[in-house]
Amino acid sequence: MTFLKLYINSLLRNKIRTLLTLIGISASIAILFSIFSFNRGFERNIKKETEKTGLHFMIVPSGCPHEVASLILHGAVSPKFLDMDITEKLRSFREIELISPIIVTQAPNIKYDRIDILYGIEFSILKILKPYWDIEGNIPTNDYEIIIGSDIAEHYKIKIGDTLNYKGVQFRVSGIVKRTFSQEDAYVYISLKSLQKLLNKEGKASAIGIRIKNIGDLNKITEDISNKIPGIQIVTMSQVVNSLSVMATSAKILSLSIAIIAIIISAVGVMNSILTSVFERTSEIGIMRAIGASKFDIFRIIIMENILLSILGGVIGILFSVISSTVIEKFLKKFLFYLPSGKLITFEFHIALVCLIFSLFIGVVSGLYPAYRASKINPIEVIKT
Amino acid sequence: MIEIKNIKKIYKRGAEKLYALKGIDCSIEKGEFIAITGPSGSGKSTFLHIIGCLDSPTEGEVIIDGINIKNSKKKDLINIRRQKIGFVFQNFYLIPGLNIYENIALPVLFSRKKNYRKKILSLIEDLGLSHRINHKPHQLSGGEMQRVAIARALANEPEILLADEPTGSLDTENSERIFEIFRTLNNKGLTIIVATHNLDLAKKAPKVFKFKDGLLVK
Ligand SMILES: Nc1ncnc2c1ncn2[C@@H]1O[C@H](COP(=O)(O)OP(=O)(O)OP(=O)(O)O)[C@@H](O)[C@H]1O
Ligand SMILES: [Mg+2]
Repeated sequence: MTFLKLYINSLLRNKIRTLLTLIGISASIAILFSIFSFNRGFERNIKKETEKTGLHFMIVPSGCPHEVASLILHGAVSPKFLDMDITEKLRSFREIELISPIIVTQAPNIKYDRIDILYGIEFSILKILKPYWDIEGNIPTNDYEIIIGSDIAEHYKIKIGDTLNYKGVQFRVSGIVKRTFSQEDAYVYISLKSLQKLLNKEGKASAIGIRIKNIGDLNKITEDISNKIPGIQIVTMSQVVNSLSVMATSAKILSLSIAIIAIIISAVGVMNSILTSVFERTSEIGIMRAIGASKFDIFRIIIMENILLSILGGVIGILFSVISSTVIEKFLKKFLFYLPSGKLITFEFHIALVCLIFSLFIGVVSGLYPAYRASKINPIEVIKT
Repeated sequence: MIEIKNIKKIYKRGAEKLYALKGIDCSIEKGEFIAITGPSGSGKSTFLHIIGCLDSPTEGEVIIDGINIKNSKKKDLINIRRQKIGFVFQNFYLIPGLNIYENIALPVLFSRKKNYRKKILSLIEDLGLSHRINHKPHQLSGGEMQRVAIARALANEPEILLADEPTGSLDTENSERIFEIFRTLNNKGLTIIVATHNLDLAKKAPKVFKFKDGLLVK
């Protein structure tokens, strides 16, 4: 006979109630774990993705807000344009390895009655910047071809060789990028020249991405460029990472609030469940007192039942969110304006630990009152009846 | 071994005072077997609860093995209860879900003793419950449940067994068997105090206390 057996016995007495309570805790801890992991994954993957661009900084028109500048890389439409003459001036900096002017814009796709995001870039550069792409077909070789993301292909049921029409110009799809699980899946990559023509913005770009030969020169070169070229603004990749995660702050706060509310609700659920079971077991608890249990023994038994239930719920919740992380990620993606590619929710030991500590906390806090009530049960009152 | 000096138990209901015990004096020696009889409400249960340190008297003193209960701390009272006293009640109060062995071992768990398995098993055998050891309380008859409750009361090897209407829920045959068990235990030296309405059974006890209106009338 052990105390553990006693706790388990009590929990097994009303299996349905225990199960329902368990579901409540599991759900709230699953939410917490998913959100923590998601936030971690978000930061980690932004960094990775930004590194993957192969660029070190971007040049945007001055006055372009930081957030927009950061998002241009990821498909935001900027109302301001740079003069392409700048690229000529940039070529005089020997530290620069690669210059990639881009235009991002939205254009109606009349046939399919949708708005597509057009990403104008020189295809020769695209090849260098996206070495990790898995492509069906080829990167285009002329200005009348395009390469599209897998979402677009799926949605329009497009095969290689089909055409898409933007502002009266036909473009042939020469390649489809296999799913990257990022914004790229929804882009139409078009040659910079064609996009400039479509927009009547010949000689203009939304931004210019720069890769330098030696990262150690970053500070010096950005300073040099801003001194020599007026009317521009430089955004480094670490600034991009920062402003993307700052932009996600409100989403983080919102999601954590939801988790906290879920936890409070489940804690109240646990408390209610254990309190009910304490009331139901009044005579048993009284009799335990009569056969030698102290008030503290009773207090301990009840609070341990709570803790056991909460920790078990926590473990189930963590397992559940790891197992169903793909579904959860898809769900969360619907609510965020921008998501880095790659898996966001993964099992990380210290996040699991934090979540378990949270469930322990639920157990202790929600168990205090039921345990107190149980310890107040007077054995004489019970055995009289 | 138990010294009771003029104990009173008074319940206040508003301004009204209700005397459950009106002043009881007696002493109980080690190895005695006492039956307490008396009409309902005469204070039998209250008396047992006070001896069993579950309740305390409003006035008067209870001295068990030289220890004055009045001056003892709660912690000491619990230890007295764990070491010296076993309780049996009319309604058995076994814990559902736990099997017979676990129910009987419960008091030992609370008193934090170790290596009790053999002792519990021999208790189970003594009370003729060996074939029921893995059963749950709801699978037993009333007589069996009461024997389990007695085994549980004996698990900590107490000096005093207090039984409040132990046969109140049992038929004649089972009631007699319970008293038979009490007599055997008493022969081995256990002090037994039984409150009962069953006068036939009470007669079997060597000594009878008659209660009336909170007084011991012999
Ligand atoms: N908590 C309480 N508040 C007020 N009065 C009480 C309380 N507990 C007991 N009493 C009263 O004390 C008196 C003695 O009760 P007790 O239970 O000791 O009687 P008893 O002899 O055991 O009766 P029975 O044979 O019915 O079990 C009764 O009049 C009862 O109403
Ligand atoms: Mg009574």
